[in-house]
Amino acid sequence: MKRPSFHIIRPLLLTGARSSSRWFSYIGLGIGVLLLLLAQQLYIDIQALVKQTSIRKNGFDYISITKQITNENMGRDNRFSPADLDSLRQQSFIQGAAPLTSNRFEVVATAGDQIPFASDIFLEALDNEFIDTVPPGFDWQPGQATVPLIFSSDFLEMYNVFAPSYGLPQLSMETASNVVIGLRCEGQKGGATFRAQIVAFSDRINSLLAPKEFLDWANLEFEGLPSANASRVYLKTTDANNPDLLQHLTQKSYRVNKEKTAFGRSKQILQGVIAGLGIFGVLVVALALLLFSFYLQLMVARSRDNLQLLLTIGYRPDWLSKQVARRFIPVYLAVVSAALAATQLMQYGFHQFVMYNRPELSSLLHPSVWVTAIVLTGLSIFTNMRMVRKLLYGLS
Amino acid sequence: MLHIDRIRPTYFEESACAHSEVWLQRVNVEPGERIQIQAPSGSGKTSLTHFLYGMRREYVGSIQFDSVELKHMNPDQLADLRREKLSVVFQDLRLFLEPTLRENFEIKRQLTDFHPATCIEEWAKRLGIGHRLDTPARLCSYGEQQRASIIRGLLQPFKWILLDEPFSHLDDANARKAMDLILEESEKQGAAILLADLEIVPHYPQTRLLRL
Repeated sequence: MKRPSFHIIRPLLLTGARSSSRWFSYIGLGIGVLLLLLAQQLYIDIQALVKQTSIRKNGFDYISITKQITNENMGRDNRFSPADLDSLRQQSFIQGAAPLTSNRFEVVATAGDQIPFASDIFLEALDNEFIDTVPPGFDWQPGQATVPLIFSSDFLEMYNVFAPSYGLPQLSMETASNVVIGLRCEGQKGGATFRAQIVAFSDRINSLLAPKEFLDWANLEFEGLPSANASRVYLKTTDANNPDLLQHLTQKSYRVNKEKTAFGRSKQILQGVIAGLGIFGVLVVALALLLFSFYLQLMVARSRDNLQLLLTIGYRPDWLSKQVARRFIPVYLAVVSAALAATQLMQYGFHQFVMYNRPELSSLLHPSVWVTAIVLTGLSIFTNMRMVRKLLYGLS
Repeated sequence: MLHIDRIRPTYFEESACAHSEVWLQRVNVEPGERIQIQAPSGSGKTSLTHFLYGMRREYVGSIQFDSVELKHMNPDQLADLRREKLSVVFQDLRLFLEPTLRENFEIKRQLTDFHPATCIEEWAKRLGIGHRLDTPARLCSYGEQQRASIIRGLLQPFKWILLDEPFSHLDDANARKAMDLILEESEKQGAAILLADLEIVPHYPQTRLLRL
């Protein structure tokens, strides 16, 4: 078929249709897409911001407990016995309990020539499942010269507060990770020196963690004893704020690390709010698309006689539906592009002016936000083209 | 070739078609034929035009254009048939009323570009509506609109042209001019004409008369 000019039939298609409803739908679509993309980007930002401080992992809360030290029990053994651990594990609201075992031999850490630092330290170990940031390779085998360590970010912060007073350099996380630490282990049965390297930082665990295999091996090797009962235990639970759990812990006079629990909760609430914003965005997009489809139906209904006559004199419904689609596709693209640009601008502003010292964030939009925008545009164009086609084939 | 095979409107009793030379009959239309269908009011003249043009399907029997069953064509195939092979002049004209006559012609002409744009001026002058080309169709008289409808029907390639009371609002002189133009263009294209009217049209050189 020769391609007729759309110019001459254009006035026939739009007769009577009020353009205000079309513009309302475009504006609605723009606002909806903006809300949706913004919610997605914010959700990603929040994920990035709280990644290191999350107490949640694989859908569980992880909290640490210690025995409350009072004037009455001071001086007694306040560590968790195997019986204490079994009792904890039997509770329905606790999905797992892991002791934070510690070294029974002496450990001295040195930081090499560059940083004149040497200190007695302690090492602890915990099942990997309970650690928030377990990098690949956080394990140890006998004969291995280097011991990977997970360092508490609170400790690093504390170190950076006191370091200048002792003439020591302040360290960033990246630099601290590159420092080769000398670990001198000395017990009654012998000693050895290892190299150690910080492989990750933990916000959840205020300790210096070594692989469990290393600590169990070293306690036996240097002290001839198995790892001792732990004074701190990590619990895995679906809800750290479960009243039954809290009541049980109070009854047993166990102390919970509450600050981390509270943070995890507020993060959840924040994510909930953002998810709500996203759902609202989806609703606005759906409403705008509905309004636009009504507008298209109204346009086809109002120019029904003209369209029918065009089909009668030999215009193909296929060609006509493409022409109608061509009228709205560029506007659609423009609306989604504008929403995308506004989201980008807001993300740039958020990163540059609000969260300016956060390397984990990016000033650019996350690729998934682009994917959402593209999928949304494709989907809207496809559904509307299909509807127009159906209406026109219905007329012929 | 156009084959009309024993068609009957579903809303007509078989007995009502007993004396018809079209309903329930086999009619083959050869290229270049000029058929006059004489049909008194209520005998289904407009229904026949609509059936043949594929606009309505309330009939039994078969209509085939070049061996393709009309009822089996999809909307796009039907559009192709109407654009390339089958033309029509409706009794109720069916012009776009807001656009001018020229725009009405262009909407049809540009579909195939079979005729040059100059044809429009030439034919409009010939039928006495040259001065009305830039007037919206709704402001033209019924007679002017009827002539415009005839010109629009000719602005495409066709093997068959259906004329449904094409001169009902034209005086004798204008009807003759319009007839001459239709005959001339049909002859050029070797097309068959099916003209349906209440009475026998005197200046139509028919080759076959069928009473509906």
